[in-house]
Amino acid sequence: MKNLYKTVGTIIFIFLIGLIFLFIGGYYKWLVGYIFLWIIQGYTAWFLYIKCNQPFVGYSVTMGIGAYGTIILSVVYNWPIIIAIILSVFLSMIVAILFFLSTSRAKGFYVTMVSFLMAILFPKIIDATREISGGRSGLYFKGFDISENVFFILILLITILILVFYSWFMKTKIGQILTLISENDNLTKAIGINTFRYKILAYGIAGFISAIGGALYVNYIGFVSSIDLNVFTTVYIAFMPIVGGSKVFYGPLLGVLFIKLTPDIVRPLERYMDIFLGISFLSIMLFLPNGLGPTFEKLFKKAKYTIVRK
Amino acid sequence: MVDGIITGFIIGGVLSLPVMGIAVVYGITGVTNFSLGIIGVFGAFITWILLDYNWVFAVFMGILFCFVIGYILQNILLNRVSEKGGDKNLYFIITVSLGLVFTGLIKVIFPRTNIGLSLPSMGLFTIGGITASGLKFFAFFFAVSVLILLRILEENTLLGKKWVATSQNLKLAKYIGINTKRSFCIASGIGYALAGIGAILWASIYNINLMSGWDLTFMGYIIAVVGGIGNIWGGLLAALLMGMVMSFSGYFLGGSWQSVILYAIVIIVLIVSPRGILGYEKSI
Amino acid sequence: MTETLIETKNLTVNYGLLSALEGVNFKVKKREIVGIIGSNGAGKTTLLETIAGQLKPKKGEIKFLDEEINKLSILNRRKLGIFLVPQNENIFPRMTVLKNLEVSSLYNSKSETEELIDYVFELFPILKERKKQIAHTLSGGQQKMLAIGIGLVTNTRVLLIDEPSIGLAPQLVTKVLETLKKINKDMNKTIVLSEQNIKVLKVIDRIYGLEAGKIRFSEDIKNLSENEVKELYLGKID
Repeated sequence: MKNLYKTVGTIIFIFLIGLIFLFIGGYYKWLVGYIFLWIIQGYTAWFLYIKCNQPFVGYSVTMGIGAYGTIILSVVYNWPIIIAIILSVFLSMIVAILFFLSTSRAKGFYVTMVSFLMAILFPKIIDATREISGGRSGLYFKGFDISENVFFILILLITILILVFYSWFMKTKIGQILTLISENDNLTKAIGINTFRYKILAYGIAGFISAIGGALYVNYIGFVSSIDLNVFTTVYIAFMPIVGGSKVFYGPLLGVLFIKLTPDIVRPLERYMDIFLGISFLSIMLFLPNGLGPTFEKLFKKAKYTIVRK
Repeated sequence: MVDGIITGFIIGGVLSLPVMGIAVVYGITGVTNFSLGIIGVFGAFITWILLDYNWVFAVFMGILFCFVIGYILQNILLNRVSEKGGDKNLYFIITVSLGLVFTGLIKVIFPRTNIGLSLPSMGLFTIGGITASGLKFFAFFFAVSVLILLRILEENTLLGKKWVATSQNLKLAKYIGINTKRSFCIASGIGYALAGIGAILWASIYNINLMSGWDLTFMGYIIAVVGGIGNIWGGLLAALLMGMVMSFSGYFLGGSWQSVILYAIVIIVLIVSPRGILGYEKSI
Repeated sequence: MTETLIETKNLTVNYGLLSALEGVNFKVKKREIVGIIGSNGAGKTTLLETIAGQLKPKKGEIKFLDEEINKLSILNRRKLGIFLVPQNENIFPRMTVLKNLEVSSLYNSKSETEELIDYVFELFPILKERKKQIAHTLSGGQQKMLAIGIGLVTNTRVLLIDEPSIGLAPQLVTKVLETLKKINKDMNKTIVLSEQNIKVLKVIDRIYGLEAGKIRFSEDIKNLSENEVKELYLGKID
């Protein structure tokens, strides 16, 4: 029951924040929209890496395919943006599934490693095809011809939809089977379930949703380059659910806020951001393995207890 | 054509150093360390800063730095994880975070992030009718000698035997009285030092920037997976092979596609033989 | 000079919330062979591993020659003179038999090593035959012998052995147990065995019965009449 409250609470919270900042407007509204885009990525990582326990860390790639697919197909080949998005999203889904198929025989850790290498490789491919992709200089994108606010509402709704989807999906029969697979793959196979098919589904969903996030990203920001989608990006995304706390629904949200807001809050120290985040990740892994969320909960409970006693 | 082969050998030779670093670290400590390349590059940057004084001193300090950092990191950080069971995903997350920290440090500490090392030229050599700068030949022969040295270390020194025992049965190694923590630290130090040498060589033949550390790690692991992780001989063989591939694909397709081809090869190898070409890991 | 080599007082060890050992009082005197008998899950391995330093007790003391060793690492306990032959994973699989013995003798001089290895080969001629063979290709029984050989070669004061006879064919069981008796006599070595097999009664001086983490009984074998031994054989021990 508690978990349901946390889940619904998180979703309502995000919805309200979206509405509030829609009215506040200005830079902060833009920032909230930006955070939503990363929420999509962070929760995808939470879904695939944590909930389904699939050792994949190449989220910058799926996001990148969504982003670059959209921009290249519509700008270079003049396709309608919507079609470009749909195609890129399906491409990303296929790439994710192909990745799974090609590494399915290897041990779990090899898969993590190869997906990480794929994420290192992706910006190199962008650089190599710079005539089309803009390489490091990037490509500019006008995006949808709709007002800023309408697009903001669109992002808000899509983000909420995705969160609702992820939380609902894990409770369905398929989701429960994926949970079984995540806990004990071999045992699940032994009781007769075709784990292979379910994993394909999981990778497909992750690729799909991450690419949607990427497509929205390139429309919202209006620009993308290989620097935006380098190895750091995928590391940050993969760490979002871990930093915030993978066992609670609001964990990835905390992770997104920590990783993406901190650079903004401490502007003058931007130079030290990599060092700061790296050390934060290390500290959390070593001392707060449950993530920030459960740690705050514990502190909160302790505080409540001491107050009650008094 | 012949040029291509030479280049292949050289690239392979230089790359085999970080690969052997990975092999040593993984083979002995079981850590899949993704910060090897970045800290190796940091060492190369240190060499660059000190180059004005004396190049031997500079190179020595760069390598020493890597060794010391490797020792300390294993001691205060990674050994802790080993004690708790050595979960590979945990190693991954921790070492990648370390890589982040050191990338950030390079940005902050050094005035430039794109450097080349101009070590004194060893002149031009002609071996078997092929002419290339001495440094390039040096890179290759150095790599081979390191391999032989490691083998000798393993077979004949007490430290080497302790390493072999520790990598084969950690619990029993502790029972018979091996200071496994210290063995791990030394192995880690050597692994990082090898990566450092690889970075220094790479920086003197080509040049390096902030992302080179990740690239070296990338290539290192690609080659290691192909050769079978932890397998030193497999590593060298795979490095030479991949060096050839890189050299020829670079010639035909242009530099940026080298990595793509490498990656494709890794995928193919993993599909066909999930344990690497030679079919096994940890040969130590 | 104390007669007691190892002693535990009120030793309690937990696996998470489960109690593996509770209030164990256990004593080993110099040059004794002590047997710990109990069924699966009784806590035998836990007791031995705690003495060796692999596990940390929640409560209680472990003493070696009257000095508390609770805080000592495995490494330091080895230097004091404690070695545990684990039940499995007790050899270096990809080294030869000879290398296994050589590396385990790292604290001894070259001549001591030679002597000890010769002794091991005398006790287990089959290991001598196969000294160049890779350890993991040996049969189960041979691996057991090698594991005990490794223990011998460390030349520690006390040898803890976790179920030496498990998985062995019956004739081999007798041979191994009798070899341990011989080692005890030849080297004046203190030995602690854990066993499920009742044959162990023939070689030990004292016996402890362990059940569900608690010591149920402790007897001096020579004080037991033949009938009592039979009773132990059939009744008390499950």
